[in-house]
Amino acid sequence: MNMIQNLPWLFLLLPLVVAAIDWVCFNKHPRMAATLSLLSAAATFGLCVAYLTGLQTGTPGIYTWVPCSIEQLCLHLGLVMDPLAMRMMLVVTGIGLLVHFFSIGYMKGDSSNLSRYYAGLSIFMFSMSTIVLADNLAMTFIGWEMVGFSSYLLIGHWFHKTSAAEAAKKAFITNRVGDFGFLLGILLTLGFFGTMNFADMGGKAATLAPAVLTVTIVCLFCGAVGKSAQFPLHVWLPDAMEGPTPVSALIHAATMVAAGVYMLVRLQVSMGTEAFTETACTIIASVGAITAVLAAIMAVQQDDIKRVLAYSTLSQLGYMVMAVGLLAGEAAMFHLYTHAWFKALLFLGAGAIIVCCHHEQDIWKMGGLRKRMPLTVLCFMMGTCALIAIPGFSGFFSKEAILDAALAKNPVFFWVGAGVAALTTFYMLRLCIVAFMGPARDHGAEHAKEASFTMALPLLVLAVMAIISGYGFIANDLVPFNGFHAHGFELGLPFYVSMGSLAVGILLALAVYGLGGRTRDPLAGNCISKALRNRLYIDALYDKVLIGGIQQVFANLIQFFDSYIIRGIICKGLVWLTVRIGYLCSWIQCGSLRAYTLVSGIGLIILVLLLAYQF
Amino acid sequence: MLIWLILVPVIAAACIGLLKTPGRLTALVSAACSLLVGMYAVLAPESCSECLSTFCGTPVQLTLGLPLSRIMVLLSILVTFAAVVGMKAPNADAERSWAISALLISTGAIGAFMSDNIIAFYGFHELALIPTFIMIGCYGRGDRRNIAWTATIYLGLASMVLLAGLLLLCSEMHAWSFSGMAASVQAGIMPGSTCLIAALLLVGFGTLVSLFPFHTWAAPAYASAPTPIAMLHAGVLKKFGLYGLFTLAAVFGPKCQELFGCWNNWLLVLLLGNVLWVGYVTISRTRLDSMLGNSSVMHMGYIFLAFAAYIACNGNNELAFQGAAMLMLAHGLTIALLFLLTGQIEAQTRTLELDSMGGLGSKLPALGFLFGLAGMASIGLPLLANFVGEFSIFVSCFAGWKPALVNCDCWLAGVANFFGGMGPVQLATIGALWGLVISAIYMLRAFFRIFEGPVGAASERATKLTVLDIVAACFLAAFIVLFGIVPPTCL
Amino acid sequence: MIPLAHYLILSGILFSIGLAGVLIRKNIIVVFMCLEMMLTAANVALVAFSRAQGTAGVPVYDAQVLSLFITGIAAAEVAIGLALIVAMFRARRTVESTALNTLKD
Repeated sequence: MNMIQNLPWLFLLLPLVVAAIDWVCFNKHPRMAATLSLLSAAATFGLCVAYLTGLQTGTPGIYTWVPCSIEQLCLHLGLVMDPLAMRMMLVVTGIGLLVHFFSIGYMKGDSSNLSRYYAGLSIFMFSMSTIVLADNLAMTFIGWEMVGFSSYLLIGHWFHKTSAAEAAKKAFITNRVGDFGFLLGILLTLGFFGTMNFADMGGKAATLAPAVLTVTIVCLFCGAVGKSAQFPLHVWLPDAMEGPTPVSALIHAATMVAAGVYMLVRLQVSMGTEAFTETACTIIASVGAITAVLAAIMAVQQDDIKRVLAYSTLSQLGYMVMAVGLLAGEAAMFHLYTHAWFKALLFLGAGAIIVCCHHEQDIWKMGGLRKRMPLTVLCFMMGTCALIAIPGFSGFFSKEAILDAALAKNPVFFWVGAGVAALTTFYMLRLCIVAFMGPARDHGAEHAKEASFTMALPLLVLAVMAIISGYGFIANDLVPFNGFHAHGFELGLPFYVSMGSLAVGILLALAVYGLGGRTRDPLAGNCISKALRNRLYIDALYDKVLIGGIQQVFANLIQFFDSYIIRGIICKGLVWLTVRIGYLCSWIQCGSLRAYTLVSGIGLIILVLLLAYQF
Repeated sequence: MLIWLILVPVIAAACIGLLKTPGRLTALVSAACSLLVGMYAVLAPESCSECLSTFCGTPVQLTLGLPLSRIMVLLSILVTFAAVVGMKAPNADAERSWAISALLISTGAIGAFMSDNIIAFYGFHELALIPTFIMIGCYGRGDRRNIAWTATIYLGLASMVLLAGLLLLCSEMHAWSFSGMAASVQAGIMPGSTCLIAALLLVGFGTLVSLFPFHTWAAPAYASAPTPIAMLHAGVLKKFGLYGLFTLAAVFGPKCQELFGCWNNWLLVLLLGNVLWVGYVTISRTRLDSMLGNSSVMHMGYIFLAFAAYIACNGNNELAFQGAAMLMLAHGLTIALLFLLTGQIEAQTRTLELDSMGGLGSKLPALGFLFGLAGMASIGLPLLANFVGEFSIFVSCFAGWKPALVNCDCWLAGVANFFGGMGPVQLATIGALWGLVISAIYMLRAFFRIFEGPVGAASERATKLTVLDIVAACFLAAFIVLFGIVPPTCL
Repeated sequence: MIPLAHYLILSGILFSIGLAGVLIRKNIIVVFMCLEMMLTAANVALVAFSRAQGTAGVPVYDAQVLSLFITGIAAAEVAIGLALIVAMFRARRTVESTALNTLKD
């Protein structure tokens, strides 16, 4: 009975144990490690499907990790099993399983330590499940840090490449900056709500002052800004593309970066939307909108196929965060869910293309791929259609849901969303036209062959999901939200506007890039393009000014003070003081016997007097 | 039985010194015996204590009944074992003196952590300090004489101030042991000049733990000391000051605020100096040993934060106490492992300048794995030992806090009000949280420069780790993981 | 019979002369003799007190025993002191107390 009750703990324990075994025991046996990780992903996926199809095992047990006599302060580990969590688990384990499968084909022949790679994937599965299933903020934080670690591990998988190692470091540290706010938010939540447990937070928001709520929510939002790579902490995500592509698909597109959105929605659900004050909402939605716009603009001039997708991920995450800020958690989760499928598809498709083009990532060195790898390109196009929201594909429904919510709450965000949609269409079509149409521009693309079975199968599954996952009959059962109802679709302003921006995007892309005849980007070469390629100099600003300049100078300055002033004052100063006092007192040693006698005589007399008169 | 924890290393040290038995082997046998006896004593359900003799009418007894004793004795025996296993002296004579010093330091630390009598508690610590000075002065790296003298001056003065504080406290409390003092507190006796005593104790204990601004001896000393000495001092002996403060706070129980309260806000400022100031000093360091020394100083700030939170809540803050205990244990293991690996890195590459290394992870993946694990533990990754301690401490700082409900129309004024409504401990916690970012920066940067990127010239020299190297490191790493998953709260 | 006060005045004068000699004179032999003089002053006072405190012509012998002790100890002291002075003269070729200042610097 008890064992069955605790069955959901397998979601966490299985990948964790597998990761440990992979790393420590199967260090020299990558095939065993791969099999074990794949099996664990399959097992958790199966378990998740079983729960979604009605398996009931009762409430899972709660473990007290750090006991304390005050109940609220104990560090409990417990699981929530509501639809929001379980359906999110389906996305995580489903895409996780496909990525494990894809990795076997993708990483074949790689000379690095593959056991570490699979261990990293398993650690990720463990930590992402922890975030999703956590029943309190402390446990969320544990998962939060652990996904950051697995992301560090996997981005830096090829650590002998300096750029990969740098990117991993940057990702971890940038996330830590966000975690600073997140942890503070958790502590404030504990202070104000008196609990870290999601189940006990409800109804307390009404008793708190708006300023208090604003600060708390904004602090918690900082965590999402780091993890979901929102402006101004978005810089790590494009660099994270240094990792193996399956990792980018799983962690940096589909699931981990969406954890911020999931966490915010989880808070909205448990604290109640009244906790999200107007100011907090405006901040959240604005950050989302700024990220969406900036990333979409920067994506226009990227040449690396993975970077284009990375900026597109940023932009779509901006959409989701904006939806959260508009208190449309349902729409945000809907978009998170469709985005997970089609973006994983796009990344895995890009991965297949990269492998088949002999590790060429520059789209201007591709071209003509539609003839050489038609299946992969077809799947990739399905993903593109979903991303640019062509009616009938999954992305269309979820984007429409967000635009509707924006129009209802704040038209400014609606128009921002529409503009970003046009940009999205433009840069995705640019990518497709340049990479797939026209002649091959480099020998890598000339000799490209269709992807192998282990890579093609996940693509097909994801392509199907990219098409159908938005329809009500599937979405109603699978979108991670409690009591989700698929977006009721109707003709109206949002529809016309989004059709308009779609048309604008398509026409612009065709006008600029034609049907694939170009060999170089006609938009390149001017200062705007240069600025966009250099990421609007935001990374350079951080690297040179904030880190290299202010922080390093500050650190060196403090070090100077530490070693010269503090050590000088305390250590050298004490020595100096002692020597001075010594010199001061040395006149007593006058060297005259008679003076000594006189002084000791006077001393004796005083002593006698003192004794005699009992002073 | 507890007496054997002290006698075994002393006898072993005497054997090495007088009978010229082989240094490492004898020390190994002694450390293994201590490990077995210590494990048994620490895990035994009843708190054992035994009386050694009486001195001026007060019994001098060894006990594991004090709140932090078990965990600190556990830390001592674990680190001693790893230090002895991983010891690599340049020659047989040096090996003997290293082994003797390591055993004596371990004796002193274990003795101090088990003493009920306050003078014995102080004396054991002094015993442990002497070999540290000698070892740094004779076998240290760099400018060893100067560093040894600096450490001697700092620690000697600190011990003097501490002794004055302890004597004053004991004489005013009419008790010369922790248990006796607890009885005095029960009887309602409080010292008269609390502010003076607290200042003496905080400066004395604080300097021993390298509290800002009395910290500048620590990093050079650890960077210079031979590996086993650095492990034992940074890992174990340095915790003596915190152990003393927490034990006294626990002895005074609900009245600890009366004793330490008048300096609590100052302590908060100083510990922020530890976390932030020393944190940035750490970032600016370009030598691995110096960086680790500073990082160890920085992490002490968190434990002082727990102390301040404990005092601010009148001792009614179980989580702060527990968090501090766990972090002391975890930090001891982690920093010992890091210094152990530093020694191995130096042996392999013959340099510790971060800029001249690179790519060592490709040559020695096991070393990279262990260093990565220790580094991640020290920056507080969950499932490794330090996280539970740090997280508990942060939570405990907000534990006794009853927020004043602020209500304002203008949200900016509201936010200002909101921060004004926070207590000093909470504000300091916000500052200390930034330490999470700082430690990630320096640790990842160091890992990046040593292990990642293309293989550099220094890393080319690396050959192979010996079995004992790996055993020593894995021994500590295993406990870091174990305590990360199963927090040692029951001790 | 001579009153006690006269003895005490004599003793005081002797002591003062001795003290002045110790403080003023440089020659260590003279200083030494002055020290002896101060001891003698104490002896005179002791014997005088012993007579004055006595009943029916029998003095209090305690004080006289004490003065004998002082004389004995003074003899020993003279032996050691003179030896030291001789040693000093051998080393320094002088018996001036102002020459004994090497520890000052």
